[in-house]
Amino acid sequence: MKGKILGNVGLRMSRADNVVTAINDVDAGTAIEYNGDEIELRESVPFGHKIALAKLRPGDEVLKYGEIIGQATEHIEPGEWVHTHNCKSTRGRGDIEDETEET
Amino acid sequence: MIVDRVTSGMTTFAGFDRPSGPAGVRNYVAVLPLSVAASAVADAIADRAGENVHSTPHQMGTDPPKPAREQIERTLAGIGTNPNVGATLVVELGTESMDSDAVADTIAAADRPVEVINIRECGGTSASVEAGVETAERLWGGIASLKRTEQDASELVFGVECGGSDATSGIASNPVVGAACDRLVEDGGTASFSETPEFIGAEHILADRCQDDDLAERLLERVEFRESAAQLMGVDLRGAQPSPGNQEGGLTTIEEKSLGAIVKGGTTPIRGLVDYAESLPVGEGLVLMDTPGYDIESVVGKVAGGAQVIAFTTGRGSTTGNPIAPVIKVTGNPETAELLSSNMDIDVSTVLDGEPIASVGDRVYDLLLNVASGQRTAAERRRLEEFAINELQPNELAQLTENA
Amino acid sequence: MSSATDNRSVDPSELTFVGYRRNDAAIGVRNNVLVMPSVICSHIVADRIADTTENAVSVPHDHGCGQIGSDHEQTERTMINLSQNPNVAGTTVVGLGCEHLQSDDLAATIAEQDRPVCETEIQAAGGSEACIQEGSEATTELAETAAASERSENVLSELVVGVVSSDVDPSTRDVTDPLVGDLVTSLIEAGGHVIVTGTERLAAHSDTVGRRADDDQAAAALKAVADRSTARPGNVRNIAHRAADLPLDSLTRAWGDASVDEVIQYGEQAAVAQGLTLVDAPSRFEEAATALATAGASVIIHVTADGIPTGHPVVPVLKITGDRETASALATDIDIDARTADVDDVIRRLAAVAGGDRTAAERHGLTKFAISRIGPSL
Repeated sequence: MKGKILGNVGLRMSRADNVVTAINDVDAGTAIEYNGDEIELRESVPFGHKIALAKLRPGDEVLKYGEIIGQATEHIEPGEWVHTHNCKSTRGRGDIEDETEET
Repeated sequence: MIVDRVTSGMTTFAGFDRPSGPAGVRNYVAVLPLSVAASAVADAIADRAGENVHSTPHQMGTDPPKPAREQIERTLAGIGTNPNVGATLVVELGTESMDSDAVADTIAAADRPVEVINIRECGGTSASVEAGVETAERLWGGIASLKRTEQDASELVFGVECGGSDATSGIASNPVVGAACDRLVEDGGTASFSETPEFIGAEHILADRCQDDDLAERLLERVEFRESAAQLMGVDLRGAQPSPGNQEGGLTTIEEKSLGAIVKGGTTPIRGLVDYAESLPVGEGLVLMDTPGYDIESVVGKVAGGAQVIAFTTGRGSTTGNPIAPVIKVTGNPETAELLSSNMDIDVSTVLDGEPIASVGDRVYDLLLNVASGQRTAAERRRLEEFAINELQPNELAQLTENA
Repeated sequence: MSSATDNRSVDPSELTFVGYRRNDAAIGVRNNVLVMPSVICSHIVADRIADTTENAVSVPHDHGCGQIGSDHEQTERTMINLSQNPNVAGTTVVGLGCEHLQSDDLAATIAEQDRPVCETEIQAAGGSEACIQEGSEATTELAETAAASERSENVLSELVVGVVSSDVDPSTRDVTDPLVGDLVTSLIEAGGHVIVTGTERLAAHSDTVGRRADDDQAAAALKAVADRSTARPGNVRNIAHRAADLPLDSLTRAWGDASVDEVIQYGEQAAVAQGLTLVDAPSRFEEAATALATAGASVIIHVTADGIPTGHPVVPVLKITGDRETASALATDIDIDARTADVDDVIRRLAAVAGGDRTAAERHGLTKFAISRIGPSL
């Protein structure tokens, strides 16, 4: 398949990505090797969900498939679960006035 | 089941010749209600007229505004001219502003038998159901003896859809269906995907693959139009995109969903973009259709455009089908493959274990050819045949006139 | 044409019928278990479940997916209140699993209203066949409980009657609406509750529509509905165009003489127990009938010059026409010919249907269920 599996548990689709996708339910404490470092999962992450590879600050881009999939809304440490609680879309926001669209 | 690549060097399937246009993979009589007022009668006719008579129930009104009316007529005529339909019965109440003759004429122009039943002229519900069953049975009699013969794969228009997506959709099921699309395009056929809101976040990738700048521009305009639908409603598109099931399955944003969704069309250049239910060109490679993300309407749009077979990827386990085209359910989620095995057609979760996409894609392509040749899908076996027509709403109509 | 002041031989407060008393004192005239798909993707499973159970009806629809904001809320509200219609003895909610309108949440909300409810979901059950099995078992249990529903004799004026006029054709305006309007007046005078609809026709009359209400709040609500009607889906626009050239009184003749006591949203339940309720819904029959059913109507009178013959799964529909061609062409689908009937005839027919007589639509059994949408599919 496209992409590379890190630590037997996380599928990274592109080298530019700062998240991997769990290909199993992964327990907290599991280690993923990344760039010569070991990232330890800070919490359990369900199958199909994302794990941060890098430290992210609010406003930082979250990258998967080599593309922007959203923005961090909180500080995120490597090994943390990344989902709707700390990552938001920048598109389709009809509820926000004065939104700048990039199309 | 004939899949013969060896003798002629061409890829083939066993299909039904039609008087004009490409071959069909099924041989049905379609019963099409002109409006919601005729829909229940159309269903009753199809229920009683035998298993090869299929109705397309819908909720379109009797007197829609002109652009909405045109879209409805185009969709119905498109269904009647789909290669899988050998003959059509149109059912109307008789007071609709929709033109049953226009629909029938389009179908007749494609050299297909078509008749119209008017509920008022028949004398009411019971009488029209009776007359309709008689007519449908007669129409079936006229096409029942058609046999499958060897057809070139280039006659196939393959529609692909994703629904009930989760993270496995972008990683496993969509890429392998995309690989199958690439195979079909290589063999001279047409592949089509749609669901325009699920281009949001990935449209730049698609635009780059358009065969010319005009096409790229049109594509981006369509995406913008769909995205602005959220603005129209004054809401956050995230309420619908991604859906709760998508989110439970790991998809966080529409961008993530879209990036995973667009790979279901494969890697070939994009050759065209058509409107909802507009005819898809045969033998033309990868062509997009502008539809909502709403699956049932989206599949119907492609079938009305002429798609004979649909592949539908699903992570969570959508079980829907279509009355006119076989829908192949493809899942890359191993749990879904097991739990919903009776509603799935192929488990491609082996991709997660390392099986190469090309190899799994080949299996999907083989399955496509077998289904085209008569193998029934899970949805067909269970007669799960959902149908809905996209209805243009006043704010969409207003936008159309603004942009006109 | 009889007027409201004529002496009647039939007084709605004297005729009686035997109905089903629900735990909130609402009175139903049918006793069915409702099999309710939360989304289009589960509607065939819902249909099959209903088919296998006596006295179960399904309400297949095209929604629940690709809807956000007010559309999602409207679908949700409609389903919740439909489960409380007086004709419904219990509900089985059928979901797929990934849709926005989640079946378990819907079932929980219905349970909070103290109505018997069960729930099943295709993805959780392990497929469509398993879900049909599970759903059929649950529905059968609900139907068994329903069979023991309390029955009581009630005066006709305790019947909640819904009225929809689905066109503004000459025969409707000149013949049928006046007859139905007189009926409505008669029912309300006898202490009854009538629910009316077809609000897109008010769009051009927002300045004068307030006079159909005695109280300021209702008058303001009427005006607001008329103002909103300019942005509505589908074919309602054409009725609104025609209605712009017709006088308000003619457009609302089927509502009778009484003033409007309350105006409710599409999918909402009526709050008053007597008088005249207006529900904001288009005149398009299938969608209007659903709005009347969720508002609490247990019988619907459908004025139709076209002769739209379909019934509604939850509520018996009496078809009434004043159009000569329709009365003749669709004689077996029409219940009342307004050219020859009078108010007494309609009252007696209502009582008979309330007591169990089948309407023309119930005899052929073909129904259609639809919910109005507000915005585009996504």
